[in-house]
Amino acid sequence: MASRMFSSLGSGDSGYDGGITEVFEFETSRAKFNHQEHAREVARQRQHMLAGELSRLDAGEYQQDILDHMMRMDADTLPDVDSIDIQTEIQWYMRPYLLDFLVEAHSAFQLLPETLFLTVNILDRYCSKRVVYKRHYQLVGCAALLVAAKYGDKKEKVPTIKELKSMCCSLYDDDMFLQMEWHVLSTLDWSVGHPTVDSFLKLAVKDSIPDPETENLALYILEMGLFHREFVSKQSSTLALAALALSKHILGRPQARASEYASRYCETTVVELSQKLHQPSEILSRKYASGRYSGVSRILNTFLVDQAALAAAAAASQRAPSPGHSYASVSKSPYIEQYGYTTPQKPQFQSTMQHGYPTPPITPEEEHFGKDPRNHSAPNHYTPITPTPTAPMSQCSGFDYRDDYRAAPPSWVFETYHDSRYTGIV
Amino acid sequence: MEVTHRTTNSQRPASRLHTKLQAAEKLISPGSVLFAHRSKPAALGPTHVRTVSQDMDKRHPSSFQQLEKLGEGTYATVFKGRNRQNGELVALKEIHLDSEEGTPSTAIREISLMKELRHENIVALHDVIHTENKLMLVFEYMDKDLKKYMDARGQHGQLDPVTIKSFMQQLLRGIAFCHDNRVLHRDLKPQNLLINSKGQLKLGDFGLARAFGIPVNTFSNEVVTLWYRAPDVLLGSRTYNTSIDIWSAGCIMAEMYTGRPLFAGTTNDDQLQKIFRLMGTPSERSWPGISAYPEYKANFHVYATQDMRLFLPQVDPVGLELLRSMLQLRPELRISATDALRHPWFQDLPQLQARAQQVAQQQQMQQQISGGYGAPGVPQQTGY
Repeated sequence: MASRMFSSLGSGDSGYDGGITEVFEFETSRAKFNHQEHAREVARQRQHMLAGELSRLDAGEYQQDILDHMMRMDADTLPDVDSIDIQTEIQWYMRPYLLDFLVEAHSAFQLLPETLFLTVNILDRYCSKRVVYKRHYQLVGCAALLVAAKYGDKKEKVPTIKELKSMCCSLYDDDMFLQMEWHVLSTLDWSVGHPTVDSFLKLAVKDSIPDPETENLALYILEMGLFHREFVSKQSSTLALAALALSKHILGRPQARASEYASRYCETTVVELSQKLHQPSEILSRKYASGRYSGVSRILNTFLVDQAALAAAAAASQRAPSPGHSYASVSKSPYIEQYGYTTPQKPQFQSTMQHGYPTPPITPEEEHFGKDPRNHSAPNHYTPITPTPTAPMSQCSGFDYRDDYRAAPPSWVFETYHDSRYTGIV
Repeated sequence: MEVTHRTTNSQRPASRLHTKLQAAEKLISPGSVLFAHRSKPAALGPTHVRTVSQDMDKRHPSSFQQLEKLGEGTYATVFKGRNRQNGELVALKEIHLDSEEGTPSTAIREISLMKELRHENIVALHDVIHTENKLMLVFEYMDKDLKKYMDARGQHGQLDPVTIKSFMQQLLRGIAFCHDNRVLHRDLKPQNLLINSKGQLKLGDFGLARAFGIPVNTFSNEVVTLWYRAPDVLLGSRTYNTSIDIWSAGCIMAEMYTGRPLFAGTTNDDQLQKIFRLMGTPSERSWPGISAYPEYKANFHVYATQDMRLFLPQVDPVGLELLRSMLQLRPELRISATDALRHPWFQDLPQLQARAQQVAQQQQMQQQISGGYGAPGVPQQTGY
C-alpha cells in the first residue's frame, strides 16, 4: 500500500533533480505498471463480483442438495484411522516427513489449495486398505498427489512423472509411479471426489464479508491438522467449521450467528485443533508466513506468545488462568516438561509380523496368504492385505505418543531438506 | 531405528541431547526415514492386477466380445461389445494409456464423477477394466447418439414435437441431477446425448465434466464445443456456473426443431457474432457488467434482437417461451434445470406420452431398416 502511494507521488513528479532522478524514474515506471495492473485488478474484481452473484443464484437453487451430496460423499470417502494403526511398516512418526514433502511439492507445482487436502485423503484411504511398505510410502504419496492434481487442477499444472521422479531422487522408476497411480485408483474404486475441508470452509464463509485473514488462518489450522492422527478420520465438514471457529477466536472476530451454517461447529474439535497449534511443521509455518496467506503463521505465533505470557502472569500471581483467555495454550507447559513437544506417534509394534505383509503393488504371493495364522481372521481370501481394524487392538493400548520429529532445532530442517534431498523442488 | 526407542525422561543430560541431535539428523530427510534401506525398492511386479480383481471373469477384457467400432472420441475409441457371460450388449470405451502421463485426467474425472451419478437419464458405467496399456470403460449400450438419431429421421433431421418434448424433459432431468450433485457437464451437444430403442435419452461423455463448489471456482473457458458454448464463456468468463449447461440445452432444443445447429460459428468471435445477430448485441445497459469480461469489445457489431418466432417458426409459443428463458445471454437470467422442468410446456407431456411411445416404436422399426450406426468404417465422434 505504502509503495503504491509513493509511486503515485513519483509519477506526478516530472522534475529532474540530479541524484534522485533515478529513484523517481524507477518509481515512474512502476506507477505506469501499477496503472495497468490497477485496471486489470478492477476488471478482476468485477469478474469476482459477477461470479459472486452467479454463485448466489446457484446457491439458492442447489445449496441444500449440494450440501447433502457433499455430506454423503464426505462420509463415504473417510479414511479409517484404526486400519492405518495396524500398518506394520509405516508408522505415525513418519507421517510428518511425508506430509512436509507433499506440502512442498504441492506448493512447488502451484496446485489448487484443495489438491493438498485431497492428496492426503487419497493417501490415507489407500493406507486404510493396503499394507504399505516403508520404502513405498513416498511413492504412494506421490501417486496420491498425481491423482488429486489430475482430478482438480488444470492440465498444465499436473506434475509430470519426470518431475515427481526427480523429486524422489530417482528412487522409483517411471513405471512404478504409473503402476502405483493405477493401484491407488483401483483401491479407491475410482471414487476420487472427496469433498475437501476447504469446500466446506468456502460454503461456511460465503455469506459473510470476505475476510482473507480468517480464511487463511483456518486453512493453516486445517493443514496443521493433516499432520495429526486424531483428525484422519474426522469428517471434512466438522474440521472445516471447527477450524473456522478457532481462527475467528484467535483473531478476535465475532463468531457466526446461530442461524448460519458456520455456527454448527463441534466444540470438542475446536479444542482438539487448538491443542495442535504450538509446533507446526516448519515447512507449513513458512508457507503461511507469506503475504499470499496474510502472514497468518506469524499472527498465530504472536497470539500464542501472548497467551503464554498471560498464562505465565496468571500463574505467577497465583491465580488460575481464566479459561476465556487461554484454552489454546494451557496445554502447552505440561507437554514440554514431560516429553518435549509431542506429535502423536504410533507406538512401535514389536514386529508382530516379522517379514511384514507385502505391499502392493507387489502382490502377496500365495504363501503369504493363509500360512500366517494371524491371517485366518481376514474376511476375504483375496484381501488379507487389507488391515482389519479388529486385529491387534490390544497392542494399541499403553502407547506413549512421542515423536522425535519436532524435538530437534528446526533450523536445519530446511538445510538438509534442500541440500540433499529436494533439489528437484527448488 | 534406535531413535524411536528413546527415553521419555523430561530432564535429559546435555550429552544425551547431543546424541539425540545426531540421531535426529539422520532422520531429518524423509528419504532417510522412509527408505532406511538405500537400495532401490524392488520393481513392482506385474501380478498386482490380481489384488483388486475380486470378480476376475467380469473384469477381464476377454470377458467381452468386441464388435464393431462405434466411433472415436477425443481421447478414446468406442466399440460395441457383448458380455460373453450373459450376452448383454455394452459399449466399450477404450482409453489408450500414455506411458508418460499415466491415467488421463479426463478419465479420472469421468469415472469418479460417473460413479457418483446414477440416474436413468445418465448413461450407466458398469465397470472399469485396466490392462497393461489401456483402460476400458464398460457402459450400458445405447443405440445412437442424438445427432445420428436426427440424421436417421430424414426430414432434414427435424424431429416431431412430441419426441422433442420428451427428449427435452429427459435432458433437463439429467442436467438437474448433475447440478444437484454439484457436477457441471460442460460438453452438452447432440453427439453426447445417447438414445436407446425405448426412446430414452441419457447424458454421456463426462470427459469434460467437473465438480463445482459453492461459491463457484475458477474454471477453464476451453469447454463446450463452440456451437453450444454460452455467451458468457465466449466472453472469457472463468467463473460460469450451472447456467452454461442450460445454454447448451437451449441450443439443442432449437436444433431438434430445425435439424440444424442454431449458432454454427467458426471461431470464438464468429460464434459471438452469430449469437448476437439473433439475440441482439448486449450492451452495458442490457447487461450491466458485460464490459468487465476479458473478451468484451466495445466495437461489437450492434444487432437488434430478432423475433424468435421468425427464425424458429416450428416451435409453439409456449415452447418458445421456455427456449427464450434458456437462451438468455446473461447467465444469471437463464432458467435453472429444475425450474425449466416445471415449465408449463411439459404439462401436456403425460397425455402425449402414449403417442410418444408409438413414435418410439416407429423409430425402432425405422432404425432396423436403416441399420444402427450407419456405415461401418466411418467412425465419428461418439457420445460415450
